[in-house]
Amino acid sequence: MTVQGESFSYDDAIVRKFMVATFIWGLVGMLVGLLIALELANPAVNLGLPWLSFGRLRPLHTNAVIFAFAGNAFFTGAYYSSQRLLKTRMFSDALSRFHFWGWQIIIVCAALTLPLGYTQAKEYAELEWPIDIMIAVVWVVFAINFFGTIAKRRERHLYVAIWFYIASIVTVAILHIFNNLSIPVGPLKSYSIYAGAQDAFMQWWYGHNAVAFFLTTPFLGLMYYFLPKAADRPVFSYRLSILHFWTVVFLYIWAGPHHLHYTALPEWASTLGMLFSVMLWMPSWGGMINGLLTLRGAWKKVVEDPVLKFFVVAVTAYGMATFEGPMLSVKSVNALAHYTDWIIAHVHTGALGWNGLLTFGMMYWLMPRLFQTKLHSQKMAEVHFWFATFGIILYATAIYSAGLTQGLMWRAFDETGRLQFPDFVETVVKLLPMYWARAAGGTLYLVGMVLFGYNMLMTWRKRPAKYEVPVQTAPALISPYPPPPATAPAPGGVLTRFSRAAYHRTWERLPLTFTVLVVVAVVVASLFEIIPTFLIKSNIPTIASVKPYTPLELAGRDLYIREGCFNCHSQMIRPLRHETERYGEYSKPGESVYDHPFLWGSRRIGPDLAREGGKYPDLWHVRHMDDPRSITPKSIMPSYAWLAKNPLDFGGIQKRVDVMAMLGVPYGDAVNRAEAMAHNQAQALAKSIESQGGPKGLGDREIIAMVAYLQRLGVDIKKAAPGTVARATAGVP
Amino acid sequence: MTEHQSDDRLLEHDYDGIREYDNPMPRWWLYIFWATIAYSILYYFNVPGIGIGKGRIAAYDADVAEAAALATKNNPFATVNDGVILAAAKDPAKLALGKTTFSTTCSACHRADGGGVIGPNLADDYWIHGGKPLEILKTVTEGVTAKGMPPWGRMLTPDQILSVVAYVTTLQGTNPPNPKAPQGVRADSTSPTPAAARGPAK
Repeated sequence: MTVQGESFSYDDAIVRKFMVATFIWGLVGMLVGLLIALELANPAVNLGLPWLSFGRLRPLHTNAVIFAFAGNAFFTGAYYSSQRLLKTRMFSDALSRFHFWGWQIIIVCAALTLPLGYTQAKEYAELEWPIDIMIAVVWVVFAINFFGTIAKRRERHLYVAIWFYIASIVTVAILHIFNNLSIPVGPLKSYSIYAGAQDAFMQWWYGHNAVAFFLTTPFLGLMYYFLPKAADRPVFSYRLSILHFWTVVFLYIWAGPHHLHYTALPEWASTLGMLFSVMLWMPSWGGMINGLLTLRGAWKKVVEDPVLKFFVVAVTAYGMATFEGPMLSVKSVNALAHYTDWIIAHVHTGALGWNGLLTFGMMYWLMPRLFQTKLHSQKMAEVHFWFATFGIILYATAIYSAGLTQGLMWRAFDETGRLQFPDFVETVVKLLPMYWARAAGGTLYLVGMVLFGYNMLMTWRKRPAKYEVPVQTAPALISPYPPPPATAPAPGGVLTRFSRAAYHRTWERLPLTFTVLVVVAVVVASLFEIIPTFLIKSNIPTIASVKPYTPLELAGRDLYIREGCFNCHSQMIRPLRHETERYGEYSKPGESVYDHPFLWGSRRIGPDLAREGGKYPDLWHVRHMDDPRSITPKSIMPSYAWLAKNPLDFGGIQKRVDVMAMLGVPYGDAVNRAEAMAHNQAQALAKSIESQGGPKGLGDREIIAMVAYLQRLGVDIKKAAPGTVARATAGVP
Repeated sequence: MTEHQSDDRLLEHDYDGIREYDNPMPRWWLYIFWATIAYSILYYFNVPGIGIGKGRIAAYDADVAEAAALATKNNPFATVNDGVILAAAKDPAKLALGKTTFSTTCSACHRADGGGVIGPNLADDYWIHGGKPLEILKTVTEGVTAKGMPPWGRMLTPDQILSVVAYVTTLQGTNPPNPKAPQGVRADSTSPTPAAARGPAK
């Protein structure tokens, strides 16, 4: 066994950097979350400032928590564990540093651009094209560094944690690139190359798999390293690792369309999304089982060790969230839960419970090792655990109640068949106490986070003057691989034999083969859904009367995007009677064929706007945007008074129209005189507002474009000749 | 489960001190996994166009038809006539409800005192779509979307609608300050033309 050993050391400096960044961005992300939670409970909290308004800060909260907090947490754990699991230093210290600083710069760019209203309007893919390119570059650098580390490893076989890292790294790259394909209109503005139902499909293929491959598989990898380490117990089942790894990777990628049940996405596609989500239940639970059963014989330790306490609740939260996910993907459950706070509750079980607590547990375990001193206060870590756990319970109880209340009120009919709560604001007012309770739960969690930071700071202050860098020794891998002695075939059923098969052990020492297999699993599954979505014409029957937005309306649509209106208002009426009763005829796929990007939305904090056009007079909108409570006294919508003050950028309209035309929107004549057309429409509309008794001189303000856009929503279909609009989309893929 | 516990056999794997057991998957886990796969294959035959299912639009249409039948049976205004509304206008409870409804729903366009802003003055004698109680009821429930008046028939409860119409009939002659200029025709006009003008402007 004592083959010539090679000496090397691990790069822990980079791990320390990522750890501190995780805390800082976690604190920022959670503070923004608390702020917007308070804004929902009381709109005045935004102080009337555009860059503090809910629509602009909500994406900052989600991006900060997902990519800054959870992202840096993943990198912390991955850099620490990969070096040790592969018995080598990272491939290149320079690339590690590039990855670290590149990622932090991206986060700073996000924190600056999102509040200023630069957004692609696609959830978790809001960042505009230059930042998307930076993400792609940094991610590729990370991949090179990671695969380079694998290439120079001194451990023959790859451990399950490494499998999960591989799957995360390659899949995130694929998802990021294909969902963000867009044509720039300006330095910080672009239009998605996809439109309507196809854009929606791509977005949720991405969106759901961002949850899968950014928040689930990386953290399963972390769990597989840090949980057995902290518990000092062997992993429960290697075979389960194999089976649940491959099934998770293969099945997850199909699940995205369950975000689009009952929308204008064809039924075959959303049904596939549902069924693959149902099948995903047990594969997801494989991770939970392997985590919890690894703790057999170590439960006494859980009582004493806050690290294991964090892990136990994290893995349990993962189990709850991955049961709830498949349940929410079932159409009848989804019909109730979609657009409500139930979904918000679901993701917070995952983010606060699984990602948050796993991160904290991992970091409390890492702190003494990285700072080479005792943890400042074990007691404080314990207190943090209880603050976090009770925070989650309070948050979840409040917001699950809110979701159910809202969903049930929306669909309630009285005995004569009329909506019981036809006035939307009634269903909002009912939620306010729960919004306050949610903010209280979030505050508890945040207090825990502050304790965590304090503990880290105090531990860091006790660090040695100079960190010790222990020298490791391990033999280099011998090439070619000496074949192991043959073993007898394993007994058991087909699946058991399959999962124990020797060939998997072979793949584990062939990283390239392994990675190619992961890519094949992900890409093949994706193509099964993507190809029919894009190629089958009958999926999206066109409607002759649906025309492109006028240049002025297009400018208004971009303002709608800038203000993040889609964060609170959907534009997708589902074929459910309580929706058509409340909002009008259900949305057809042919209605959003010119929507680059689609703006169907995923949440109704306010009512749906798909048929807003013509519902109220122009002046109504002018006043409502200026002060929503002058029209609806109990409304929680923020005031958008600045729209009536800001001059509209007429000069930029031509370029917008040109890019749309390039994307295939039939603009005809408008490609030559968009600006003049916009001026004409703006003057006419301003005159009409004035004649209704409204303020003078709005013709060159942003509000005029916004009103023009809102008044256009959903009206084209009413001009269609009877019988020309298809009732249903073809089911056959 | 007990079988697995005794089966704990360590594999020779060792990654930075982490060992792995060769335990089989828990039986219940495998069975449920197989069951979800079987369920999914069977369920897909429910997709319209692929299998026997009729799909979401057919289900929706059936829902709408059922509701339409119910609505005809339960028309809340079937027995309402001018007399019923004028009687409600003398009932303090109804008037109070009408006033509240007016201030939250109507005042944004017709002004709190009915003097008119975006929408017409409701306190004068001129009407665009008719000033008789039943005519006002029709305007409120069905709206005049071309002119910006939304249909409130499904947005308010029948009681609210009846009360708000009753309340509107009491606004006549209240002479609010700075009213909007009269629109439409005089209610007491006996000339033959108003009949045509009074018809719903569709």
